Amino acid sequence: MRVLLAVLWKDLLSEWRSRDRVVAMLIFSLLVAVVFHFSLPGGAGARSQAQAPGLLWIAYIFAAVLGLNRAFSVELENDALSGLALVPVDRGYVFLGKALANTAILGVVQAVTAVVFALFFQLDLLPIALPLAGVVALGSLGVTAAGTLFAAVAVRTRFREVMLPLLLLPLLVPVLAGAVRATAALLQGDSAPWDALQLLIVTDAIYWIVSFLGFEYVLDE
Amino acid sequence: MSGALIRGRGLEKRFGRSVALRGVDLDVRAGEALAVVGPNGAGKSTLLRMLAGLVRPSAGTLLLGGIPAGRPGARAQIGLVAHATFLYPQLTARENLLFAGRLHGVAQPEARAARLLEEEGLADAAGRAAGSFSRGMAQRLSIARALMHDPPVLLLDEPFTGLDRRAGDSLCARIRALRAAGRTFLLVTHDLAQAAALADAALVLASGLCVRELRGAELGAAALEQAYALAAGTAR
Amino acid sequence: MHGSRGSFSGHPSTRAVARSGALLALLAAGWLASVLGAPQDSVQGVVQKILYVHVPCAFAAYLGFLVTGVSGALYLWRGEARFDRVAAASAEVGLLFCSLVIVTGPIWAKATWGHWWAWDPRLTVTLLQWFIYLAYLLLRSFTEGDERAARFAAVYGLLGVFAIPLNYFAIELFGSAAMHPENLQRGSLGAGMGLPFLAGVLTALAAYLHLLLLRADSIERRNALQELLEARGS
Repeated sequence: MRVLLAVLWKDLLSEWRSRDRVVAMLIFSLLVAVVFHFSLPGGAGARSQAQAPGLLWIAYIFAAVLGLNRAFSVELENDALSGLALVPVDRGYVFLGKALANTAILGVVQAVTAVVFALFFQLDLLPIALPLAGVVALGSLGVTAAGTLFAAVAVRTRFREVMLPLLLLPLLVPVLAGAVRATAALLQGDSAPWDALQLLIVTDAIYWIVSFLGFEYVLDE
Repeated sequence: MSGALIRGRGLEKRFGRSVALRGVDLDVRAGEALAVVGPNGAGKSTLLRMLAGLVRPSAGTLLLGGIPAGRPGARAQIGLVAHATFLYPQLTARENLLFAGRLHGVAQPEARAARLLEEEGLADAAGRAAGSFSRGMAQRLSIARALMHDPPVLLLDEPFTGLDRRAGDSLCARIRALRAAGRTFLLVTHDLAQAAALADAALVLASGLCVRELRGAELGAAALEQAYALAAGTAR
Repeated sequence: MHGSRGSFSGHPSTRAVARSGALLALLAAGWLASVLGAPQDSVQGVVQKILYVHVPCAFAAYLGFLVTGVSGALYLWRGEARFDRVAAASAEVGLLFCSLVIVTGPIWAKATWGHWWAWDPRLTVTLLQWFIYLAYLLLRSFTEGDERAARFAAVYGLLGVFAIPLNYFAIELFGSAAMHPENLQRGSLGAGMGLPFLAGVLTALAAYLHLLLLRADSIERRNALQELLEARGS
């Protein structure tokens, strides 16, 4: 448990010092939002609100992939990854610390991006802010669990920047489907559909558990 | 508790096309210093990393105080100093040590970190980012990091690489001091003279096999040179 | 841990390959006969017979990934290289069958419904599966170090196996147009169509097994040869 907190603290401290990941992710998702405006017929606005949930989650996933690549490349310098592998407890706790740190950092980016999307698509997010935050959190947890695991894998392969999205995206379809469905429902003023939330919860649980167990083997040489 | 603290039998590391170890036995008593020497590719680092739990053996057993190497209980007993320093360049020296301490469950990591920084002569640089350290300083910080949880066994993988004469000598002195305190050492090195001077026993490896084992009185610089030549010849 | 490095002709897995090959030949002959003898579907015509390839291949494709996932997990647990060989071989063979499903599906769809693709749930899941297979194999080839590749692939394979049912539910959530006949129960198949399906499934499984053993054997031989060359003194 203390290993989890130690890793979480270390990652957030490093990020706070340099802020490079958050800034890069933010700029990127803002850029993506602008590009979306130009890629929609008629541009982003009240008429294209139906597209907003899907596009929002695409922006989230792309930003996440960007950030995740960085999350482990810092561990390669001086082979700090092996240093982490030496912990005298189950290495899954290192995974938990890292994944939670990634979720927190992603969360900051997601909040700002949501505001920008609200601006571009003329959405009123205030009344649904809390449930929306919940849905976004559920979705992010799915993304960061598999994402953190595969980032640790991808960082030690050739073509690591390409490897991560290649590994991650097919596995994110359940998360995407559930999250977009729930987000869309919320934006329409309905409550989030149970089957979408159920899919998210089950996917998150499976991904976190399997990643926790698998991390022990991923951190070997 | 007498007998071997570290006990390895028939250690192999092979997978598909690559073979690092072909069957190595290992016996190290508590408080002993074992040097592992041999030409490149002999499997020395692999053996050490197997002990550290970073590499899983394909066959054979390796026990640390009765616990299989690689299990969390075994990892708690070792400290590893390798060519890579495991340090985070953007964190200060003190923060690096605190992090290592927390990872290993050290009680009162701040006090311990302060003491180790003092012992390694880094107290003045404690607040500086580790990325700004010279190679010699980084090496000393890396040793401090390995010692944070006061492990009974210290593994050193070619620690003299990249150190100048002065840094190398001070490292030697440091090792001697730590040895006097009763720690068990495994040292992988290319410097045969140093190995002969520091160690109680030596394992000479070549191509994943143990070519010769020298203990106590028979361990001298000359004997080591001879064994090394044999190993180098075997390895082709 | 190592197979015998003597002559390969007596090697156990070579015999297994030969035997499964014989079984395959037998079943394939029977299947071909039953397909040719099966009545033509009154509505869909001759094209319907492509389903005798499409459905059995789907069985093999899913079995393939299941084997990859389980074998990988066994490798992580036991550390025995042969589990990894089976996982790798199964992924390659599975990808082949998966590709066949994705190719035969649209052919049948175009002939029957008029479009090549319409996001039918089962075909979509198979498509996602295809990507997972591909990612698995790319991961293996891009990872430096055979053992690391085996471990990474095993972990990925495990998650991938869970992803298959999850993907299925995800697509259900989308509620798309179902092109598949919902009706693979026994009663709904026309008279005389049951046998070729059964024969097809058996043949596909035999083909999968044979190719799996062939590929696993070939991987083992290549590794043994490499090791021999290295030991001789390179």
